[in-house]
Amino acid sequence: MSDDAVSAEEVRHVAELARVGLTDEEVDQFTRQFADVLEYFETLDEVPEVEREADLTNVMRPDEERDSLDREEALRNAPETEDGYFKGPNVS
Amino acid sequence: MTAQTVQQGDLVTVIGLEVHVQLETDTKIFCGCSTERTDEPNENVCPVCLGLPGALPVLNEAAVEAAVKIGKAIDADIPEETRFHRKNYYYPDLPKNFQITQYDEPICADGELEISVEGDRRTVTVERAHLEEDPGSLQHVGGGGGIDSAEYTLVDYNRAGTPLMEIVTAPDFRSPAEVRAFLAELEEVLEYLGVFDAERDGSLRIDANLSIIPAEEIDGEDTAEIGAEALAAANRTEVKNISSHKGAQKALAYEETRQKNAIQRGRAVEQETRHWDESRGITVSMRSKEEEKDYRYFEEADLPPLRVSGWKEEIAIPELPTARRERFEDEYGLSDEAASKLTSTKQVADFYEDVAGEYDPDLAATWVADNLLGELNYRDMEITAIEGRLEEVTRLVELVATDEITAKNARETVLRSMLDDGRTPDEVVAEEGLGKTGEDEVKRAVVEAVEENPDAVADYESGDDGAINFLVGQVMQKTGGSADPGDVNQLLRAELED
Repeated sequence: MSDDAVSAEEVRHVAELARVGLTDEEVDQFTRQFADVLEYFETLDEVPEVEREADLTNVMRPDEERDSLDREEALRNAPETEDGYFKGPNVS
Repeated sequence: MTAQTVQQGDLVTVIGLEVHVQLETDTKIFCGCSTERTDEPNENVCPVCLGLPGALPVLNEAAVEAAVKIGKAIDADIPEETRFHRKNYYYPDLPKNFQITQYDEPICADGELEISVEGDRRTVTVERAHLEEDPGSLQHVGGGGGIDSAEYTLVDYNRAGTPLMEIVTAPDFRSPAEVRAFLAELEEVLEYLGVFDAERDGSLRIDANLSIIPAEEIDGEDTAEIGAEALAAANRTEVKNISSHKGAQKALAYEETRQKNAIQRGRAVEQETRHWDESRGITVSMRSKEEEKDYRYFEEADLPPLRVSGWKEEIAIPELPTARRERFEDEYGLSDEAASKLTSTKQVADFYEDVAGEYDPDLAATWVADNLLGELNYRDMEITAIEGRLEEVTRLVELVATDEITAKNARETVLRSMLDDGRTPDEVVAEEGLGKTGEDEVKRAVVEAVEENPDAVADYESGDDGAINFLVGQVMQKTGGSADPGDVNQLLRAELED
């Protein structure tokens, strides 16, 4: 894969969309890594054609309630909580 | 669209809407968590609506049925195949960092809704309507509570995953009043379909695009056809945070004036997103980084496509407000105004038909449309507030229809007391002694009034017909207002003939 598969500009744009702050060094690093990742995906082109599985359609469930998680359980992985809420930094 | 004559220098307002309506299902769109409102945060959540790794969404059949009903009601196409996409953006109200929505293959396309604006009927095009999930809700805490100055954010995912239908119209509106009429009609239709609850907080959310275009850009005299170029050339603002049809009219009237003022002063209208501040009655620029929106939509591989075009035939929908209004006019001989009032909600229309089935349809219309709705409206109540007491209202109509009490007493005393004190009509009639006074008693009062007022009698006999009114008043006083004034008038004249 050529070096310009992913540009530094594209990396900055994706980082901005994902609300991730990157230093210039990190931008360089991610530009190279993105290109590598995309190259791995190209390997898929070498996979031989196979029979597709039958297409599924209309997979639905009835409108019936199922148990939710206990709140304690739901909040367990959160780094910070307050009064039953997930707590995070100010957003705008 | 009403043809309007436009002149050089005139400005025309062009508005299009995106309306989010919350669908009334028991469970969320992609998981079995309840959609019931609760004050306890993060109570109705599970791995799917929290976006935990490995959780798989499964579509709620009731949400699809509701979408098909809406499509049928607005005469939209339900395409052979429809599917879901992921809309990617990072904000804490979205636990997965993407929203499952529909993109290029929405479940409803190319529908329309007929509305009535100041007596004119017109048709608004609904370009598309699609299913999606609602995000969670955020609270911005500390620092005065404003979104920018807040110290931190609290997140509640109870609402995340509630089924929504986003309804997108063509830029067909030419005034805020038309927008309000459309939203009121849409709410009515959705309530008739039983897929929507207007009383529910946040069940209706509206984004509106508004631009002002020079009238000469319009071809011919009909303001319906706005050239795509003229529309693209004008800067538009997107007004967000509108939550009712009244709010929409206010917000858009404000925005219309703001843009027209800018243009008339030779200033440019910024293309931007503005926030409707309901309490201050103004729109405020959201100062968003005007970065091109980049949602990187891609197909939601966890949800197989839907093939439900056949459901349009299979699923029945009730008679809709417009059809019912027309039938009321034909079947019961009602005026357009009365029929409109009586079909404003399904409950009112159903109740009217119950009463009109038993008593005179005109009497029923007066009682339901004018008296009942009038008194309810005065008390800021909806018919749903007295759902369990409608039989009492029917009984009251019966008392009037069978001449047991006067219409005036029924309206002014009995109905008001029923609503204010919770008494039944028979209790009020008995306790207030409102039963129509017996004939003998009225006759006695007539004789007394004639005997006690020789001057008035003399005036009447010398040709002053107005004197009869004084005598009627005397009789009414003697009978405590429970006699029928028309009957008293007849009896008095008969008495004076002798």
